Amino acid sequence: MLKKREATKDVGRETSIFYIRCVIALIIVVGLMGFLLAREIKLQVLEHDKYQTQSENNRIQVRPIAPVRGLIYDQTGKLLAQNRSIFALEVVPEQVDNMADTVMRLKQIFSISDEQIEKFLEQIKFRPKFNSYAIKTNLTEQEVATFSINQHFFPGVSVEARLERYYPYGATLVHVLGRMGAITEDDLIRMDERDVANNREIGTTRQRYAATGKMGKLGLERYYEDILHGDVGSEKVETDARGRVVRVLERKEPVTGKDLHLYLNLALQQKITQSMQEKGVRGAVVAVDPATGGVLAMVSQPAYDPNMFTGGISSKEYQKLLTPERPLYNRAVQGTYPPASTIKPHLAFLGLKEGVITPSTRIRDPGWFSLPNNNHRYRDWKAWGHGKTVDVTQAIVESCDTFFYDLSVRLGINQIYEGMRQFGFGQKTGIDIVEEKVGIMPSREWKKSTRKEPWYNGDTVNIGIGQGFWTVTPLQLANATAVLANDGIRYNLQLVKEFAEANRFEANTPVMAYHQIDTSDGSWLDLVKNSMKEVTEPPRGTARTAFEGAEYTVAGKTGTAQVKSIAQDEEYDATKIAEKFHDNALFIGYAPFKRPKIALAVMMENAGGGGSNAAPLAREIMDFYLLEVLQINQQSEDGGEESNSGDTN
Amino acid sequence: MRTSAANSHKARRSLLWRLHIDVPLLLGLLALMAFSLLVVYSAGGESLALVERQVVRFGAGLVAMFMLAQVSPRTLKEWAPLFFVVGIGFLLAVLFFGESSKGAQRWINIGVRFQPSEIMKLAVPIMVASYFADKALPPSFKHLLISLVLVFTPMILIMLQPDLGTSLLIAASGLFVIFFAGLRWRYILGAGLIGVIMAPIMWYFVMHDYQKGRVLTFLNPESDPLGSGYHIIQSQIAIGSGGIYGKGWLNGTQSQLEFLPERHTDFIFAVLGEEFGLVGIILLLALYLFVIWRGLYISLQGQDTFSRLLGAALTLTFFVYLFVNIGMVSGLLPVVGLPLPLISYGGTSIVTLMASFGILMSIQTHRRLHSA
Repeated sequence: MLKKREATKDVGRETSIFYIRCVIALIIVVGLMGFLLAREIKLQVLEHDKYQTQSENNRIQVRPIAPVRGLIYDQTGKLLAQNRSIFALEVVPEQVDNMADTVMRLKQIFSISDEQIEKFLEQIKFRPKFNSYAIKTNLTEQEVATFSINQHFFPGVSVEARLERYYPYGATLVHVLGRMGAITEDDLIRMDERDVANNREIGTTRQRYAATGKMGKLGLERYYEDILHGDVGSEKVETDARGRVVRVLERKEPVTGKDLHLYLNLALQQKITQSMQEKGVRGAVVAVDPATGGVLAMVSQPAYDPNMFTGGISSKEYQKLLTPERPLYNRAVQGTYPPASTIKPHLAFLGLKEGVITPSTRIRDPGWFSLPNNNHRYRDWKAWGHGKTVDVTQAIVESCDTFFYDLSVRLGINQIYEGMRQFGFGQKTGIDIVEEKVGIMPSREWKKSTRKEPWYNGDTVNIGIGQGFWTVTPLQLANATAVLANDGIRYNLQLVKEFAEANRFEANTPVMAYHQIDTSDGSWLDLVKNSMKEVTEPPRGTARTAFEGAEYTVAGKTGTAQVKSIAQDEEYDATKIAEKFHDNALFIGYAPFKRPKIALAVMMENAGGGGSNAAPLAREIMDFYLLEVLQINQQSEDGGEESNSGDTN
Repeated sequence: MRTSAANSHKARRSLLWRLHIDVPLLLGLLALMAFSLLVVYSAGGESLALVERQVVRFGAGLVAMFMLAQVSPRTLKEWAPLFFVVGIGFLLAVLFFGESSKGAQRWINIGVRFQPSEIMKLAVPIMVASYFADKALPPSFKHLLISLVLVFTPMILIMLQPDLGTSLLIAASGLFVIFFAGLRWRYILGAGLIGVIMAPIMWYFVMHDYQKGRVLTFLNPESDPLGSGYHIIQSQIAIGSGGIYGKGWLNGTQSQLEFLPERHTDFIFAVLGEEFGLVGIILLLALYLFVIWRGLYISLQGQDTFSRLLGAALTLTFFVYLFVNIGMVSGLLPVVGLPLPLISYGGTSIVTLMASFGILMSIQTHRRLHSA
């Protein structure tokens, strides 16, 4: 019986059962949906008032607490970036009955400009009414006191204290520290993208910034944003209908960001800034400690006060910064300039190392150079030449162009490109600033891909005196100087020496990558360095005047970069050319010669000759750092040097 | 005139039929997705990145739907046993080599990381429907027993992970097939009775502490206002304070102030209720009802037993998802971790759900091709 039933399939009965079951299912579905709807009607219509009240009461709130931003110190422990308590007048629109009236009355107590009021009203128009918005920041003690007396006349308005970044040395350090700015929509999107990239739940990074209105926008503040910022805390609080905290139910403390300790020496930074301002020049100076790659000073002039940005800069104030002098522009890391003669020592070393020239190679110098089968004359800066024949030492000391025209053609662009990259040209120095530019170390490929033209020999000739397509940042130039001072070791430049957590002595040192240039035959480097020493000495050195009577021995090289190319038959005459086309003055150097403590690059825009303008500034800087900061005494340094050189001989 | 209009309509229809797309169902799903993006944008703190990722998931879901719509019910039926056995294999693998997250071992990593229980959401109803396809219905006692084994084996394996919510949903999808196959009413009543008797046993021997906690909280949310009752209280405040017309898009105070945890995932219904009010909820329920009606309609037209049973069971399972989620967020059911289908942000479930709609489309569009 059972078996028989199993074998037959009654399609008609099956269909009718299925049809009935579907109808039943639909009835159940509709019924249950009705049940859900009834529930929602109960919540939203019948009990709406109760929940409305509860919602308004917002009994329990979770409030994020901003962490305290890490501080920044110089090498001697001086505080360069700190947090200052500021007071702001804040309004919760939802709790204000008559906004126009409230604003009017606030205006009677405080000096609030119409612009500020307009900005505030604009801001609250499309934002949630339950948040708090600042109508005036940076209240004085007086204003805070005045408000606290009148507080009860202003429901929904309160004075809130928060910490804000403050830079006690203002413009002096802006191009190092950078500045803070309001977190923008773009920043938030970037945070989400980072979460995706790091395989984290979207919003994880945003959450860290739940209570933070500002973030680092430039310089160290931006580069070390993650380290400086710290972690957000939270507070679960019970509030009354006015939004006032009744009691704190739970509190998770925020974690303070880590402090940064720099290699930078504040006194040196200030001295350089002051000297540049006295001379009234635009430009950049970078000083590094050759032994570590630590940046001792990094000045770009002109500059501006980053504190202007902290409270939000007005467009009028911002317009004022957009002058032709471009104070916002960080010349030390973003400025790219022809290196001019400052790279002659490096080229000379390359020529010796590659065997293209020897210490005794001498070339004829009529005051110009020309390529075979071409009568274009590449002129020396000294129209009548440096004498009948010139060797490599004299070429460096007197900055003989003809010698280096000849050398560069002998080396060829391929060898120059490879050799100069070893010194860090055409690459980032690795400094902890995001905005760093790389400049241009030209090569055949570079010219083909950017200019769609082949490389000509004439291009190589210009490279020989650091002109043509070659551009460098002052930072790269200082770095390349340190490589010479350091017998071929190239460090990644670093501003930050270590990060330290507040109240703890452990410190994390950033990784110091370095490269060693092949200096297997040390005598080539010694020859170059000794020639650089002669640059600052009588009788022929181009920087001899600047370093006259120095209490330590200096190796250096001057440079004067053409900004405007001069036609074949024209003479350069500064008086006839607009100031912005005047030559850039450069100087690189390190001291003391035997045990270098400082290597620097000076770059002065449109200041004229390197020997007469950049070298004296370098002298002031070195005097200050070696004699006043380090208090090196001539006896120990140069005395030691003499006995050492006796040994090497 | 009339004829040409009818012809062009037919021509268009036939093109979409050849692509195996059911237009009414597709429109219903797209409307739900559009609704989802609006609410996710608001619930996610106005994050466009979140919306973008949701769009990507919907895209993947539509692709899965389109691909499954190409597979004829006959092929699906033939492959059912293999699909089922592989799924069981994965479940066993999870128990032995699975990756743990938040105390549960639910994931397996074979190049990509996925939850095998997701596969079983489709594999179980397909298998049971395939089993009944050629049998005489209503099922005999023997066939009933065998089908119950097919349902309870994966259910128990998933329960061990442990993932009680999913295991119950998967069991439900299998049981719906049996229901539509004509399970006798006396068995249904009997099972209900056994359920009542089993409840205390489940309570003491099967359920984990956190699950018991959820039930207790559900019965009395005020007992733990800052702990597990917090969700329920906050979501009810959110929905209730929304009123008839809602507080307006992006203006929900409860949700925007982060009172509501998981507001863009499992509790997104509360955001919807707060910002769009009763009007928004009625719109959502109407869209859901339309999709369910269309699913049952397609199943009724199914040309064989397999198609009909599977189509109806998948449709009813979809309903269970939304009912459980809305019931939970509105305080009618205990809190279980289950997203609101096609509205909640994220979750692999979007792809699985869309795949089941692909099967429905296949049932609808392969029909005529065979009978013609």
